[in-house]
Amino acid sequence: MKTFEEKWTAWVDGRLSETERTEFEATLADRAAAEAEKLEVQKLGALLREELQPLPMGNEEFFHHQLRTRIAAEARSPVAEGRPGLRESWWTIRRLVWTGLTSLAIFALCTFFVLREEPASDQSQYLTQILNAKVDPSISPYATVSIFQTKQDRVTVLWVDGLKSLPADYAAK
Amino acid sequence: MMRCALLVLLGLLVSLGAQPAEARRNRRVWSGLVMASNRPHPMPAAPRPMHQLHATLQRTFGYNQFEVIGQSHRILRNGQGDWLAASKHFSLHVDTRGVTRDGYRVHLKLYQDRQILLETDATLSQSSPLVIRGPQVGSGQLLLLLVAQ
Repeated sequence: MKTFEEKWTAWVDGRLSETERTEFEATLADRAAAEAEKLEVQKLGALLREELQPLPMGNEEFFHHQLRTRIAAEARSPVAEGRPGLRESWWTIRRLVWTGLTSLAIFALCTFFVLREEPASDQSQYLTQILNAKVDPSISPYATVSIFQTKQDRVTVLWVDGLKSLPADYAAK
Repeated sequence: MMRCALLVLLGLLVSLGAQPAEARRNRRVWSGLVMASNRPHPMPAAPRPMHQLHATLQRTFGYNQFEVIGQSHRILRNGQGDWLAASKHFSLHVDTRGVTRDGYRVHLKLYQDRQILLETDATLSQSSPLVIRGPQVGSGQLLLLLVAQ
C-alpha cells in the first residue's frame, strides 16, 4: 500500500499507470492547484538538470597517473606485505632496561648521600627534655627539683636541691 | 646479568635504608659522675665531653674544677637496662625505652650505694647534654652528666 507522498511523487514524475493516475487524481481536493504544483516541480527539475552538469576534468591523465602511483606505493608498504605495522623506535626493550637500571643506580647514590647527612641535622633541632623526676622522700624529705635549659649551650639541667649532704670521702673514685 | 644487577641494586637500597635506622636505635652515650669544687689551682677537665661543657658548668654551678670520679661510654640498646658511670659510692642505671622523633627516651636512676637517690625520665637528644645536680659532697657538689653522641 503506497502512501500519499509516494503516489504524489510518482504522479509528478509521470510514473503512475493509467488506472493509478485516474484513481489518484480523483482523490485530489484541488486538481488545478495540484496540476500547477506539478508543473512547477517539473520546471525546477528541468532547470536543475541543465545547471548541475558534472564539470569536465582538465587534467584527467595527470590525476589518473597520481592515483596509480599512490596505489603502487601503498602496495609496496609493510602492511600490504602482511608484516606488523609497528613503527621503529629508539626505545628498544634492552635500552629501556638499561635506562631503568641507571636511574635506580642514581637514586641509590642520592639516597646514600642524603641518608648519610640526615642524622646530624635531624638531631640538632631538639633539646634534651626531662619528663619527670622524683627523689625518695624517706631519704631526702626536703628535696626539691627544678628544670631549666641553657639554650645557648643546649644543656638541660635538672637541679635537685635539699638532698642530704655527704662527707668528703663519698667523692672517692 | 640484568637480574644480578637488579638484585645488587635492591640489596644496596635495603642496606642503605637499614643502616641509619639501626644507628638511630642504638646510640652511644657518654656518662660521667663529676665532683665540682672550687680550688685555687684547678686542674683542666680531662675527658672530651667534659672539656666541651667546662665553661657551661662553671657558669651554671659556680665551681672552677670538675673532676670525673666515674665515667662510661656505652651503646644504649632499645629495651635494655644497663649500668653507666659508677664510682665507689655512686652509680647510674639506665633503662632504654626507645627512640622518638625528638630523641632517646631513658629512665635514669642515681644510686648512692644501694639506695636510689633520684629517678627521672628524660628524652636525650644528640648534642644536647643533660646535667643533674646531685648531693653536696664535702665542700663540693656531685654532678651527673649524660651526652648522647
